[in-house]
Amino acid sequence: MAEVKLTQVNKRYGNIHAVHDVDLTVADEEFVVLVGPSGCGKSTTLRMVAGLEEISGGTIDIGGRVVNDLPPRDRDIAMVFQNYALYQHMTVYDNLAFGLRNRKVPEADIRKEIDRAASILGIQPLMARKPKQLSGGQQQRVALGRCIVRNPAVFLFDEPLSNLDAKLRAQMRIELKELRTRVATTSIYVTHDQVEAMTLGDRIVVMKDGLVQQIGTPLELYRTPANRFVGSFLGSPAMNFVDVTVVQKNGGLVLSDFGADIVLPDAMAAALAGHVGKNVVIGLRPEHILMGEGSSEGTIRLDGSIVLTEQLGAQQLVELRVGERTVMAAGVDPDLRLQGGDAGRFSIALDRVHVFAAGDSGPVLWSAGKGQVTAPLRHVS
Amino acid sequence: MGTPGPDKAPGKPGKSFALRWLALNEKTRFSLLLLAPSGIMLILFQIVPILIGANASFRDWSLYDPQRTWVGLQHYIYILTDPNFLYLVLPNTLLLMVSSVSIGLVLGLALAHMLNKHFFGHAIVQTVILLPLMVAPVIASMMMRWIFNDQFGVVAAVIGALGFGQIAWLSDRWPSFAIIVFTDVWLWTPWFTILLLAGLRSLPKEPYEAAAIDAASKWRVFTHVTLPMMRPIMAVCIVIRSIDCFRTFDQVWVISGGGPARQTEVFSIYAYTEAFVYLNFGRGTAAAIIGAIIIGTLGWGLYKLLNRFMEVSR
Amino acid sequence: MSVATDTGYTPPKRGSFLDALAPGGKRAFFLLSVLGVLLIFAFPVFWLVLTSMRPAWGVYYVHRGLEFTLGNYLEVLEQEVVVHAFFNSFVIATLSTFFSLTVTVTSGYMLSRFTGKLANAWFGTIYIFRTIPYITWVLPLYFVTQWWGIFDTYLGLLLPHIAVHICFFSWLMKGFFDGIDPSMESAALIDGCTRWGAFLRVALPSALPGIAALSILCWLWTWNEFLFALILTSHNTPMITVVMAQFVSELGTEWNLMSATAVMAMVPALIVAIFGQKYVVRGLKV
Repeated sequence: MAEVKLTQVNKRYGNIHAVHDVDLTVADEEFVVLVGPSGCGKSTTLRMVAGLEEISGGTIDIGGRVVNDLPPRDRDIAMVFQNYALYQHMTVYDNLAFGLRNRKVPEADIRKEIDRAASILGIQPLMARKPKQLSGGQQQRVALGRCIVRNPAVFLFDEPLSNLDAKLRAQMRIELKELRTRVATTSIYVTHDQVEAMTLGDRIVVMKDGLVQQIGTPLELYRTPANRFVGSFLGSPAMNFVDVTVVQKNGGLVLSDFGADIVLPDAMAAALAGHVGKNVVIGLRPEHILMGEGSSEGTIRLDGSIVLTEQLGAQQLVELRVGERTVMAAGVDPDLRLQGGDAGRFSIALDRVHVFAAGDSGPVLWSAGKGQVTAPLRHVS
Repeated sequence: MGTPGPDKAPGKPGKSFALRWLALNEKTRFSLLLLAPSGIMLILFQIVPILIGANASFRDWSLYDPQRTWVGLQHYIYILTDPNFLYLVLPNTLLLMVSSVSIGLVLGLALAHMLNKHFFGHAIVQTVILLPLMVAPVIASMMMRWIFNDQFGVVAAVIGALGFGQIAWLSDRWPSFAIIVFTDVWLWTPWFTILLLAGLRSLPKEPYEAAAIDAASKWRVFTHVTLPMMRPIMAVCIVIRSIDCFRTFDQVWVISGGGPARQTEVFSIYAYTEAFVYLNFGRGTAAAIIGAIIIGTLGWGLYKLLNRFMEVSR
Repeated sequence: MSVATDTGYTPPKRGSFLDALAPGGKRAFFLLSVLGVLLIFAFPVFWLVLTSMRPAWGVYYVHRGLEFTLGNYLEVLEQEVVVHAFFNSFVIATLSTFFSLTVTVTSGYMLSRFTGKLANAWFGTIYIFRTIPYITWVLPLYFVTQWWGIFDTYLGLLLPHIAVHICFFSWLMKGFFDGIDPSMESAALIDGCTRWGAFLRVALPSALPGIAALSILCWLWTWNEFLFALILTSHNTPMITVVMAQFVSELGTEWNLMSATAVMAMVPALIVAIFGQKYVVRGLKV
């Protein structure tokens, strides 16, 4: 029912610039996840949408109405908090009814709304209890119920699962996902957990130091990260980064310092032409490093040694050393017998490689999703 | 002055209060409203009187001088050269402070340790220890006066029964002073006990388990584990109690009235006596201000000292 | 002394003997110190109660004779000034507790929830004024209340009594609210409350245990207070502590009557100590 639109939104606390020119449009019934490390400004952004923080610059628009100067109660939103924020002195029923009573909804309608929400969430037996008598998961369901009964234009979630233990968190994640199919409402969800972001979001907004790094669907962000930070933040085990130098050799470009020189195909060379003599960073997803020769064309083969292996049952993680660099390979056959100290040959499909400029947030220079690998790869030994 | 209008520059005097109030954002308005009742009370009944007192302390504000002549620092010079103030009042006040706080702290720590264990009759002992906290200082002082009555008091009876001669408790300086200290300790040890007990109960268990594995003796556990961890709360207790003890009035007033011959007078009694007994209001307020400056400096110094001490020991 | 036995090694008996004795000795020591504590802290009160029930002729030999009477209480209560003083103390203590808490609960909330120049300035102010001795501002108040025409009235005593608690209580209230999750109030704001609504309907009810404990202590402190009553009242509004102190100097010999008054004045303290102590201690531990 409502679109949320942030235009050039800023937040300053004195000299600290907590949120920097955020532009974001959340479509009606879309579920957008703001993700980033702590202190990246994601919670502040959400609290500005809620009206709990003043907006230092820019506009926020909910359902076609600029809400900058509206108090939270007039913004037609509901919010789930990290520590649930249930009213400790009220029963579950009164917690759910509080917002509706404030809006002078007749008691009979309140009862109906609460019954509906309670049946969706399965919290009917808890109605007479106080929050202190509930488990963490139950409290979180009540907090969700408090939002659902209100039928707001927008749901806001501020790290709602981070206080739950790992098992419960996974379960609640699935419940949230199911809830979406029953209660379709525009939602903004803040988390620092990339798994929640990947699984829940229609789109993900990655933030760092108050700046939006990239906005896109989970797969877009995973496959074509806009910079090194986004690449490192999404995915587990994390993306490998290898510092290399772009060198002109034999009339073409090669990346040196990672085992032997990697001769670049033309498209990639064209993308990196401006970086000759400079350091760049190769980004490699662990699951894209294959033990052995590899099969297809367009793979580079590297000789290294195995540092150690981690047996996870379904797969093995293998840490490999090439020269002075180490990389982690994932998805290795668990039955493959590997040992620390062994020599290991592995291969990388070059259509999976990302190249970033140097620096923690170095922008992407080349990404398989963006460029087309045409020429066959040559591996010079 | 002038007609209030929207054309006035913001913040200029003359802009109506209501307009300036509305110009603030609502969060600031809310915080100011929250603060207003306390702030107004504090200004009217503490700040204003202190300013008036400060003014009075520079004047001959006595019954005989309706003009209230400005006399400058005369009162301050008088007090700071008054042998009574220098050699009786100040030492008495500081001695009461040091002895009451140190005895209260040690006793409080011991009692807190006692109450930290579970034993038969725990509830009764705790009730009894808490009682003095709630008894009026005036009543406590009356009790002590009666118990230490030279002729009919129970202490006199016990001493007599043991075959010793009588002590004229309230006609000598040091016995009177000892009763005042005793009363103050009686009144305030419970306060130490409660705060230190809360502190003891909030200590983590791990260091004690580690000490038990190291087979440390009880005394060593106390000095090497408990005391270092209790230091912050002890420091807070000492500072607060010292500040409060400096202004002691009730106990001295009822037990000795500052006597015999002003020999047990403390700072608050001195200021009161100058103002209401000698009816020299200017001098009384000057004494009160000198006292405030002394305890302000002392409290600040103590706070800094304890802070540094705690940092060094960590 | 250990007795030698013919079966090889025996554990040293001396040690086990000491070990057996030590706990007993320790227990005796502990018991003695408990009794000592009881004696020191309870005896003065016990003695006062005993004295208050002795007839006038027996008061100087409280420890001899077994005649007891409640006549002293009746005699004291026949004095109009005592009854009047009890009533005044009750009214002032009750009103000042109510207003002290009302005034400081908001400023404590402000300290807990707001940061910035205003909050810092207020925090510094209450820190400084907590240190200033009462006499420094109560002495001038003697004149100030006369100028304002409230000397020796309820108002003239009530208002300073409210003021005296501002610093300490604001600080305690801040502690109470610091223990309450502020996101509860955020939720209330979103649920349709104004800032005042969130404070009054959500934050305040959660802080009630602490505030209730504080109200008990505040009532007792005001009831027990002496210096303000001494300076700021005269014949019109006698307070019980002042009346008792006057007894000491005026009828310095009638200890039975004085004790009866004191015991009556101590009743609230006894009630709280016996029935409310756990509650008070728990409330203040926040």
